[in-house]
Amino acid sequence: MEIPYDAPEEMMKGVITYIERDFIRWIRYRIGVISSLVLPAAWLLFVGLALPVQFTGNYLDFITPGILVMTILTAGISSGSLLMFDKMLGFLNKFLAMPVPRESILISKILFITLRGILQTTIILILATLIGASILNPLQYALIYLILFLFGVFIAAFSTTVALYLDDHDSFAAFTSMVTMPLFFTSSALMPYEVMPSWLRAIAHLNPLSYAIDAIRELGMDTIPIGPIIILALFAAIIVIISGYVFRKITI
Amino acid sequence: MTAIKTENLTKNFGSLCAVNELTISADKETFGLLGPNGSGKTTTVLMLTTLLSPTKGQAWICGYDTKKEPDKVRNSLSYVPQDMAIDTNLTGRENMMIFAKLYGISRPKDRVDELLAVMELSDRADDLAKTYSGGMRRRLELAEALVHEPEVIFLDEPTLGLDVGARKKIWEHIHALNRKGMTIFVTTHYMDEADRFCDRVGIINHGAIVALGKPSDLKSHLMKDVISVTIEGEYHPIHDENLIFLGQSQNEISFTVENGREALALLADALTRAGNKVKSMALREPTLDDVFLQSIGRHDEPAGFEEWKYRMMLRRR
Repeated sequence: MEIPYDAPEEMMKGVITYIERDFIRWIRYRIGVISSLVLPAAWLLFVGLALPVQFTGNYLDFITPGILVMTILTAGISSGSLLMFDKMLGFLNKFLAMPVPRESILISKILFITLRGILQTTIILILATLIGASILNPLQYALIYLILFLFGVFIAAFSTTVALYLDDHDSFAAFTSMVTMPLFFTSSALMPYEVMPSWLRAIAHLNPLSYAIDAIRELGMDTIPIGPIIILALFAAIIVIISGYVFRKITI
Repeated sequence: MTAIKTENLTKNFGSLCAVNELTISADKETFGLLGPNGSGKTTTVLMLTTLLSPTKGQAWICGYDTKKEPDKVRNSLSYVPQDMAIDTNLTGRENMMIFAKLYGISRPKDRVDELLAVMELSDRADDLAKTYSGGMRRRLELAEALVHEPEVIFLDEPTLGLDVGARKKIWEHIHALNRKGMTIFVTTHYMDEADRFCDRVGIINHGAIVALGKPSDLKSHLMKDVISVTIEGEYHPIHDENLIFLGQSQNEISFTVENGREALALLADALTRAGNKVKSMALREPTLDDVFLQSIGRHDEPAGFEEWKYRMMLRRR
């Protein structure tokens, strides 16, 4: 007997259920929720408020986009460990032996991590506004979220792909700590291009973080950064496709 | 329609042949796949559950080809790996709900309640799973596996690491499922359990089936009595036409003979003459252990050890 089978609907159901599972696990793990907020909040307060800089009027307005993107970065880069633990502890084999479309596992991880990152950036954004960052109009906020979402998908898919290749958690932890801080410091998060040494400027222009940060800054200057948004969307799409390819190769 | 059927199922990992031309079938029974570590048990299960694609040969679950119709195969089966993968920070009920939703069950809440009751977990259903004992965790996994009423269920070492009482309970549940017409495919190290609870067993060594049949038949193929001898030092082989050497497991060697009482003295004598130091001897009826030893010969622990599994084990205790 042929069972009527609606692939996209099955996929959606799977994605939502897997996200629900990761979400419950995350909120039960309270210390993780708090720790993920401490670092960006500390940056915002100690660097944004305390650093004596001359190159811009409101340094908080300047650094907030950088901190937002950093929040998404640190949230997203660890996303691979979710899949890795599922693999190590035997969950992945259980899930793969189910009729739910297998790709829904991968999509759910990427989406969950991105949405979790966005939840965290919202708190950072509120905090920044409370301590003196300028208030923007709704369209600008919507576009900030779009940029953060695209960047989140990009980083989460990247991290997940790496995790699919590595097979133990220690090497993955080494990878994340190796990548996060250098990426942040070589981006345009802390200072504008004009004050950078030329070697750093060259690197910063290539750094994917800078695209997201610059796009959010442009928003603050009342222009709509269509170019950077398209580039970010492209980046995200390419990495998601690669990630899907690797996932399929590993699971079959 | 046969529930599980394989034909020349083969899996090579590079030059290593993990499963070699496996042809078995099982239907509405409890089938036990026995074998030493690294003999290909788990690889076989992974191929049957569509988690690994065979190098050669075919397998069918409920008539569906594992390669061509993996979705239908996955709809007909459940797989419980040996790792005890349950979310310990979720309650038993929440764990179950995730599975019910993933399988797209129409009334998930009722189904979950029903299965929690079957597995005797109702009164603890709303406690976090990390407070569960090993046996309860296993039962929760069984309950998860039953959510979509599969026709075939694969259990990889279902009683590993459980105490005697918990093991017995798990087997009672497995037996009850089998009585309802479900086909159970189980791998295990515990020969006594396989002997008592499996309708048929297959013994696999180096990827190939070396003995297949009902435990009682396999045992009756051996001779009447079994003598096991504990020796000190290395075993120096002896040859006697009245004795059949079964195998060696650590410092215990076993033989089968027609008449055990008479053979005892002769055997002791022969062993001593060959230069063995006999510590003790025992006469008993054959068990599945003896069949196992005879089928696989010497019992060697394979080299190679997955370090992270060991570390995870330490971390979880």
